[in-house]
Amino acid sequence: MDFLLSGFIKAIELLISGDSYTWSAVAATLKVSSISMLLSLGAGLPCGFILGYFNFRGKRALRTVLDTLLALPTVFIGLLVYAFISSKGPMGSFNLLFTLTGIAVGQTILAFPIVAAITASIIENIDPGLKLTLISLGAGKRNTILTCLWEVRYGILAAAVTAYGRVLTEVGISMMVGGNIKWHTRTMTTAIALETGKGMFSNGIALGLILILIAFTVNLSLSFLRKK
Amino acid sequence: MMTARNRIFEIRNLAHSYNGRPVLLVDDLAFERGSITGLTGPNGSGKSTLLKLLGFALKPSQGEILFNGRVQVPYSRAVRSKVTLLTQEPYLLKRTVFDNIAYGLKIRNRSADLASHIREALDLVGLDFKEFSQRRWHELSGGEAQRVALAARLVLKPEVLLLDEPTASVDVKSAKLIRNASLQAKNTWGTTLIIASHDWHWLSEISDRQLHIFKGQVVSAGMENIIPGPWAPSDLPGLVERSLGNGAAIKAVPPPTPGMTALINIDHIHFKTCDTHDDSVDENHLTGMVTRLILERKTGDILITLSIHDIQLTFKFPSNTISNLELFPGKTITLCFSARHIEWI
Amino acid sequence: MIRKSFVLIAALAAALSLFAGTASWAGQSLMMATTTSTDNTGLLDYLIPYFEKETGIELKWTATGTGKALKLGERCDVDVLLVHAPGAEKAYIKKGFGKDRKEIMYNDFVIIGPDSDPAGIKGKSISDALLAVKSKQAIFVSRGDDSGTNKKEKLLWKDAGISLPDKEKWYVQTGQGMLASINVCEERKGYTMTDRGTYIKYQSQKGGNAPLKVLVEGDQILLNQYSVLTLDPKNCPNAKYDLAMKYLNWMAGENAQNLVRDFRLLGKKLFIPNAK
Repeated sequence: MDFLLSGFIKAIELLISGDSYTWSAVAATLKVSSISMLLSLGAGLPCGFILGYFNFRGKRALRTVLDTLLALPTVFIGLLVYAFISSKGPMGSFNLLFTLTGIAVGQTILAFPIVAAITASIIENIDPGLKLTLISLGAGKRNTILTCLWEVRYGILAAAVTAYGRVLTEVGISMMVGGNIKWHTRTMTTAIALETGKGMFSNGIALGLILILIAFTVNLSLSFLRKK
Repeated sequence: MMTARNRIFEIRNLAHSYNGRPVLLVDDLAFERGSITGLTGPNGSGKSTLLKLLGFALKPSQGEILFNGRVQVPYSRAVRSKVTLLTQEPYLLKRTVFDNIAYGLKIRNRSADLASHIREALDLVGLDFKEFSQRRWHELSGGEAQRVALAARLVLKPEVLLLDEPTASVDVKSAKLIRNASLQAKNTWGTTLIIASHDWHWLSEISDRQLHIFKGQVVSAGMENIIPGPWAPSDLPGLVERSLGNGAAIKAVPPPTPGMTALINIDHIHFKTCDTHDDSVDENHLTGMVTRLILERKTGDILITLSIHDIQLTFKFPSNTISNLELFPGKTITLCFSARHIEWI
Repeated sequence: MIRKSFVLIAALAAALSLFAGTASWAGQSLMMATTTSTDNTGLLDYLIPYFEKETGIELKWTATGTGKALKLGERCDVDVLLVHAPGAEKAYIKKGFGKDRKEIMYNDFVIIGPDSDPAGIKGKSISDALLAVKSKQAIFVSRGDDSGTNKKEKLLWKDAGISLPDKEKWYVQTGQGMLASINVCEERKGYTMTDRGTYIKYQSQKGGNAPLKVLVEGDQILLNQYSVLTLDPKNCPNAKYDLAMKYLNWMAGENAQNLVRDFRLLGKKLFIPNAK
């Protein structure tokens, strides 16, 4: 128990003193989670929309596959991505191993099914009155789709927040693909794992608290958006 | 006479089904420009489907709908913001009243004088611009929301306004404002109105024509003269009957195919205010109390609703054929007609 | 307003990702896979800045188990290795994955256990100690993760002529790191084998009053040899062999050897340099 309190004090110290080691991990975490969120939103929103909006053969099967992908363990994704980007792997020439970009690729695979699956069910559950109303007000196909998306923006925001939470806290991919390299690919979560491995439990607690603070800030700014 | 020129809608060989279940079958039907048509019929009879099809919000499974003489489909430019539908449960976009009403104008790039157009539309439905325009979608009562939804359609100055039970779930004041605003659209812009409603008084008062829809088919006579089922085989040979709940029954010749709708041909109905006996087995004597008398102003016909044991039947007669009956609500009368004069449609 | 804020967030995120995209390293850099012990003790954090300053080569390392470190080398995902599993290293070179091997330093393993010492192993030779543990069915905690430390432990059982325990009730395989395993050992009041560095950490955490004490030490077989291993260019033509050789020679050089000798963990000497 003693290390909880000292961890809390340490967290405040690290934040106030602008400890460069901590900030490097914070920066790495923010960079990599931003890229992976951009990529997974960019791919997941259209895919989720298509799955939710249109009816086509094999749609149910696709939904089942997508829902299954939600259960992918991060360590497994890490291993999968490693197999591809390892220098003996098919994409070895891109030199993505032990880079933030490599981690982002893995986290995108982690977040994509979340974004796509939640978006699909949000679109599926759109009030049928909405489409009827838009047509009645003279909207064309494009406007109908755009306005539908805009109408469910809070739901999509929730999908993004959920995915972000998963990306921000995962450790399996960052460790396996990033290699936890100091000053480079050491993220908040791999730093916590390392500190814990070193027995520096209070350091681990401190970093964990800072990670929660980041998540809190992100969610606070999003809920501010929601209110307006 | 409805000429080809003044037909705003024409329906040809229309059939619509949901998941393979047929819900609407209309061979041939036209609507006159600038007219008011009332649609009546029980819930689930296909009124809403017809309105959605006319509003080009649905693509018919079969057949075609002509608007201004040309076949049109959902999203075609010729119908967008000219034909507009207001549903019973309005859906408001998640934005302010102002933006809800502005939506239709903005997507047509008619952003000039936005505020004055919106003020005008809100005036029509009796909402104060200053008080309501900046309210959010969830800050309105049911009646106010319905009126905002109507204003969003009126602001388009539509050629056709389709109203699906517009007053069914709103307060009395809103209902009145909605009725007035719809009429004003017709009077100001010549908007064609097609209204589905259970409000018989309103429909009979304003409509040029009434269509009754029953089990997916348009019964031109209106909602009246129909005897709802269930029909069961009678003890009498060669007849079917609709039980009235007290041992009595209406007798009819069997339908050519099961599931059809029974319609009394009023030309063969005789009135008796006292009992006389015609003992032929296929003669019906229906004794009931008059519960409602409505004048259909456009045609001069009278709608009589009779309460006969557990069912209510409505008949429509030209006023001259019943003027000598001295009818009033509460009076008991007897209708006589042969089982052969029930037609199946 | 809302739309604007969304656009703003998207723009911010895009800017961040651009920033991240440009953060790759220009100049000479060397990628090393090593074992957690060199990283967790802080040795590399202490040593590597000297290397970078003297050679101008940036050294990045990823710390993992020896098994994974060797695998990373085999697949050419790193340029050089710093590991401690002499047997496996020699086989590695034979298989054509490794080329040069230089012994750099060693530390040692110890057997720790509760003060009460239920199996009575204190002061015994390593083989006798393990035999006593087995016959008394005393709890023995193993990493069970095929790490360098785990490999060493297995070797000790074999050396004592005992078939490797696996499903025995008294043999607890944690599958976790050394410190976590020591904590399990403390909870179960058992024995375990640990590297001295981790034990020192554990000891200091307990404020010098650790329930687990060193009971067996000093045996030749308990020495833990660390070596730098370069990769065979035939297997990994893209690995930076020349830089790896520079690193190998630097580590074996007088300067680095002195630095290793001076390294203290919590005031205690940890590694003994032995480059020849």
